[in-house]
Amino acid sequence: MSAASKVDLSVSMCGVEFGNPFLLSSSPVANSAEMIERAYEAGWAGVCYKTLNSGRMDIVHPSPRMNGYDYEGRRLVGLQNVEMISDRPLRDNLADILYLKRKYPDRKIIASIMGFSDDEWGFLAKAAADNGADMLELNFSCPHMSIEGSGYKVGQSFHLLEKFTATVKKAVRIPVLAKMTPNITDMTEPAIYAKNGGADGIAAINTVRSISEIGLEDFVAKPNVFGLGAVSGYSGPAVKPIGLRFVAEMAQCGELGIPISGMGGIETWVDALEYLLVGSTTIQVTTGVIHYGYRIVEDMIEGLYDYMAGKGIGKVTELIGKALPSLCDTGDFDLGRQGIATYDLDRCIGCGQCHIVCRDAGGQALEWDAARRRPRLIEEKCLSCMICSFVCPVPGLIGFAEKPKSWKRLPTPVKDEGDAKRVSIEPN
Amino acid sequence: MAYSERLDHMTEGFSLAQAIDEAGRCLLCHDAPCSKGCPANTDPGTFIRKLRFKNVTGAIRTIKENNVLGGACGVLCPTSRLCEKECSATGIGLPIRIGDIQRALVEHSWKIGFKPYAKPVARSEKVAIVGSGPAGLACAAELAKTGVRVTVFEQRAEPGGVIRYGVPGYRFDRDFLEREIEDLRFLGVEFACGKRIDGAKGAKELLAEGYRSVFLAPGLWKAVALPEGKGISGVLDSASFLSMLRDGEVAELARRFEGKDVVVIGGGSVAIDCAESAKKLGARDVYLVYRRSFVEMPAEESECVVALREGIHFVMLNRPVGYSADQKGLLSGLKLRRCRLGAEDGSGRRSPEDIAGTDWILDAQIAVEAIGSVPDGADWSAEVKTDGRGLILADAETGSTSAKAIFAGGDIVGGPGLVVEAVRDGKAAARSILEALAGGAR
Repeated sequence: MSAASKVDLSVSMCGVEFGNPFLLSSSPVANSAEMIERAYEAGWAGVCYKTLNSGRMDIVHPSPRMNGYDYEGRRLVGLQNVEMISDRPLRDNLADILYLKRKYPDRKIIASIMGFSDDEWGFLAKAAADNGADMLELNFSCPHMSIEGSGYKVGQSFHLLEKFTATVKKAVRIPVLAKMTPNITDMTEPAIYAKNGGADGIAAINTVRSISEIGLEDFVAKPNVFGLGAVSGYSGPAVKPIGLRFVAEMAQCGELGIPISGMGGIETWVDALEYLLVGSTTIQVTTGVIHYGYRIVEDMIEGLYDYMAGKGIGKVTELIGKALPSLCDTGDFDLGRQGIATYDLDRCIGCGQCHIVCRDAGGQALEWDAARRRPRLIEEKCLSCMICSFVCPVPGLIGFAEKPKSWKRLPTPVKDEGDAKRVSIEPN
Repeated sequence: MAYSERLDHMTEGFSLAQAIDEAGRCLLCHDAPCSKGCPANTDPGTFIRKLRFKNVTGAIRTIKENNVLGGACGVLCPTSRLCEKECSATGIGLPIRIGDIQRALVEHSWKIGFKPYAKPVARSEKVAIVGSGPAGLACAAELAKTGVRVTVFEQRAEPGGVIRYGVPGYRFDRDFLEREIEDLRFLGVEFACGKRIDGAKGAKELLAEGYRSVFLAPGLWKAVALPEGKGISGVLDSASFLSMLRDGEVAELARRFEGKDVVVIGGGSVAIDCAESAKKLGARDVYLVYRRSFVEMPAEESECVVALREGIHFVMLNRPVGYSADQKGLLSGLKLRRCRLGAEDGSGRRSPEDIAGTDWILDAQIAVEAIGSVPDGADWSAEVKTDGRGLILADAETGSTSAKAIFAGGDIVGGPGLVVEAVRDGKAAARSILEALAGGAR
């Protein structure tokens, strides 16, 4: 424990102190004090409480409300939901927030709110702040709202987003995060509108509008709500690459310059660390908890702790944004440097998948020695796409090595030189 | 009844979900080595790939088009020394459980009512098949698929041969066999059960009746017996014992076995089947006596381990030298002599040598001899060439015998073999018969 005891996982975001960066995001996993209490006991440093509803509109959830997306026997690679905001009365939710703050004063509550009008935004913000919320998260991004001027439709209407943020900021003194929708081309633009409205930070990404599965017997998209399907929010490991991209772009945007709470597909400390490395100060989780329960935070804390101890990194804040300096445009790559795949054939088990993918999707650089059941690399044909390494079942068998500057890759031959001579191209 | 429940039904195999899960481990090899490991040309590389890509019915079709007994082979095949032995996944862990996947796919086809075969267009030619074991059934299916009118002659009451009467029901049960035989009936194969074709004369009569070819696959139904057992009550042979189990005589056997000490002589799969069946019939202690050591046992290691766990006592390196009986001629014990392993014999295994002065008696009231089987007395030699043991001489590639229109395969040619080897023989003979029919038309 000597090295590890120096590791500090605490972070500060918008002036609010968190014991670790791991928070529950606003969703069914943060629906009540009874649930959140157990999450706290498991180790979560705080929660984004499920979006409060003022009571002006009845909230009834569709049934069923979710659909799991599986891949080759792996369950819940993605999750589609048509979940609404909290269907509990505002008074009950606020009472639960009061309870949690009284019993766990060190854990932080970010109250998610969503209004359908300017005054409703102000009303909810004040109600949450007055009853113990440490921070607010403005839900501009629920991906399956059908009402204009709400949910992701606000996130797509930048002036409205700025206006509602300003309203909230006028109503409360606690920090305010704007939660962004990924159903948009460039997230930095609405984020800057939110900042101009007074937002202290950004939360991203909300779920991605999707169709996860279609019933082959009834031709209805899932979840099948009594004969009807709908485009709605998609989350889970499948969306992590998309989330990392949006967070990184906002973190790199000098004009934005406010902290980010990152989320999208986080299940392990590795996923969480990647979000930190692209510039998140805190991270949020729902689908991982839907799949495995609150207990996964124990492995996030311990895994990150040991990683930092092993690297001699004392404070988790040192990791925030550490991947950003090398994150560039593809045009910045040094194309003068080239490499190829390398093979440690002593460890090869002879499945030949590398040969198939190189033949059908790569540079036809791998010949197949049928008698020995081994691939044979023609170095000059290797495209360094590395797809062979993605399908190889033996970890580390296929590597990558740079070639000298003098090395040249062979061009892809035409099938028939005779045809090459007959090609006609109009001068440009 | 408990013993009948223990004896008559197989344990459940993989569900489709389990099969898909297992297929998920498959490396989908290039030039799949598993597909080269099967005597009957089963192509796991293709049917597992089809399963992986959600083409479940296609996977079933791949299995059944190649082998009408695809389900039986999935259940009974010693896959660990055939397809699974070649599995590349062994290099990073355990081989894919190909047999279990195969069985699950065939069972799934019954569940969803999927028919892997098209109804053939009938032709006029008739072919007779003697014996309804795996070789006969495989040959029948291949011929029937082309529309040939096939009649399978079976001396017993029901078709199936060794996989009905020579294997206990807990290893391969009646329902499973019936479903697979249903596919043959769908293809138009007719079964003439209770009709014994008795040797060369019978075969000749079939040809005279207008059958264009005859495929001889009667199997080996006479058990090798130790001469010392003659006249002693309580000494059974494996063939009759296993047949009785499948022939509705379970209650009578249970009455005889319950509470008794049973000794089974032999080290092959049949000996294991007999020992386990004795145990399931309620025997008190069951001893399996084998003259060599555990590693020389011809039985599959996995089935030996199961037998050990079921409480069968393995008595290795002991050779039977006689029986002891009481005054009434009832068996009281097996006289054994301890052996040690000597030099390698022709089979490549070290052969047992007696240790002098070590004779002892193992008390037992029932003995089952499972030391091999031979032709059951039908003499084919007047029509086709046979060897000294009465086995028919036939070409391994074509099934051709010394007689023009007579083909042969299965155990009657190769001696005791695997189900999948019999299937190979049946398919090979069918190809030759179809060639002969085509030649005849020209």
